[in-house]
Amino acid sequence: MCKPKEHIFISFIWLKFAEKIVDPNPLISLLTHLMANSLRLYLTCIRNTLEAALCLQNFPCQEVERHNKPEVELKTSPELLLNPVMICRNEAEKCLIETSINSLRISLKVKQADELENILTKKFLRFLSMRAEAFQVLRRKPVQGYDISFLITNYHCEEMQKQKLIDFIVQFMEDIDKEISELKLSMNTRGRLVATEFLKQFI
Amino acid sequence: MASVSVHQFAQCITSHAWSPDHSMIAFCPNNNEVHIYKLMEGKWEKIHVLHKHDQIVSGIDWSTSSNRIVTVSHDRNSYVWSQEATEWVPTLVILRLNRAALCVQWSPKENKFAVGSGAKTVCICYYEQENNWWVSKLIRKRHDSSVTSVAWHPNNILLATTSTDGKCRVFSTFIKGVDTKNPAGSSTDSKFGEQIMQLDLSLSWTFGMKWSPSGNTLAYVGHNSMIYFVDDVGPSPSAQSVAFRDLPLRDVLFISERMLIGGGFDCNPMVFIADERGLWSFLRFLDERKPSSSAKYSSQLSEKFGKLYNQSKYSTNDTNGTPRTRGGGGGGAHENCITSVVPLKKAGGTTITSFSTSGLDGKIVIWELEKQEDLLEYL
Repeated sequence: MCKPKEHIFISFIWLKFAEKIVDPNPLISLLTHLMANSLRLYLTCIRNTLEAALCLQNFPCQEVERHNKPEVELKTSPELLLNPVMICRNEAEKCLIETSINSLRISLKVKQADELENILTKKFLRFLSMRAEAFQVLRRKPVQGYDISFLITNYHCEEMQKQKLIDFIVQFMEDIDKEISELKLSMNTRGRLVATEFLKQFI
Repeated sequence: MASVSVHQFAQCITSHAWSPDHSMIAFCPNNNEVHIYKLMEGKWEKIHVLHKHDQIVSGIDWSTSSNRIVTVSHDRNSYVWSQEATEWVPTLVILRLNRAALCVQWSPKENKFAVGSGAKTVCICYYEQENNWWVSKLIRKRHDSSVTSVAWHPNNILLATTSTDGKCRVFSTFIKGVDTKNPAGSSTDSKFGEQIMQLDLSLSWTFGMKWSPSGNTLAYVGHNSMIYFVDDVGPSPSAQSVAFRDLPLRDVLFISERMLIGGGFDCNPMVFIADERGLWSFLRFLDERKPSSSAKYSSQLSEKFGKLYNQSKYSTNDTNGTPRTRGGGGGGAHENCITSVVPLKKAGGTTITSFSTSGLDGKIVIWELEKQEDLLEYL
């Protein structure tokens, strides 16, 4: 999904911008478009990977009698695991998709530009993880190095439509950025308000 | 439409089998029961529930001449059910397995059946008159992982297996006292459990395997969206690997020597054909589908952007020619993965013109090939 042409295009625009040949105002909106587009490429890539990876089936455990557990968590038989796929948008935003014969694990790292976003993401995703039962496919604890993990088993694929499952994950990824920046915004607004109120007493 | 009838029997079906005259169907609704439905006055009615297993039933096969049903389950047991008056009476088969049984098939002469298991073994079961029970002989050691499917050669001796270690193997299952020696056959000198051939074509798990009606060709599928055709099974086999662009298959069925149907995660049976030289290729999907509304995925923003800057690639780059109806929900007969494809052979007829598929969406769909004009020459 890498688009080298687009990078050239972006740097070309920046060049023009620096030379002040192009009027900057439409440029900014153009760049926002491009950023949105790169998020879309990232999500499309994840969607396509999930579509191919969500080919799960019922598979009883080979090691333990009368057990049937997600192989991606147990990892007892290496031949039942597929190669994990990592999709990175940049250093801060990445997604790891691990697949096995009867389960799939997708772990996300959400963008955290500063300390505040870091705390907000942590608290927000912890809030969600604590209510993992309500989401069914959410894992209670993220995989090490990631912010949030989903575990999809063959039972989920039997009960739910595959397309809807993928839509849910992609929608979640789309919304999480929005949610965090909204939280940050309201946090800042509140902070400013509180500070103003507090400092009023010294006037 | 290629599908004749669609029946929603359950939420999810693991396996199904037809009675010899096709008036009854046995299937497992994804639990420990086997339901038998009968067609009465144009309506399917539940007439029996076979309740003996205590874990999910993974395989069912109904023998045509002796009218017996064999079921295997994840609880490591297998039962042979025979009809006495109106009841189905189970006979326990001592499989001697310590892991789940995954698949089962009657041999063509129906004096044996094979069970693939998660214990990395294959059981060949046969009836012992003196003791009045089914005995099993195990093929051990060869498999490195679970056996996902088994298929009998028409000669009643050779058995092919696929496994999650990515290999396809062919064994001799000659059992003294059950099979008679065939002086003309090539497999006369092989003992029970001897490996005739091992194919190492697939890099991923292998599933659903079948022999062609004559037994000349063997087909099986890999999880890497490949299908493998093997001719001249023996010391010097010749193989063809056919890759296709869609999601992997789960089960296949030979309609004739030149046509094969595959069902899998694309929820739509795929037709493969062989040309005059015997080269196999993907022909088309059996079920026509209308482009559905899920094709509207590409974001409006990028489309506008594309219009604005006159670059059509922004509006088309995520569809790249493939229909976005992949994986069900596209208005086809099946809405979830197809897990088994079963032939519907007419009594006395030699050709198969219809077959049924079942899958995780709990539907059983019957398909008729006679109305498909472009496929008639391959029947």
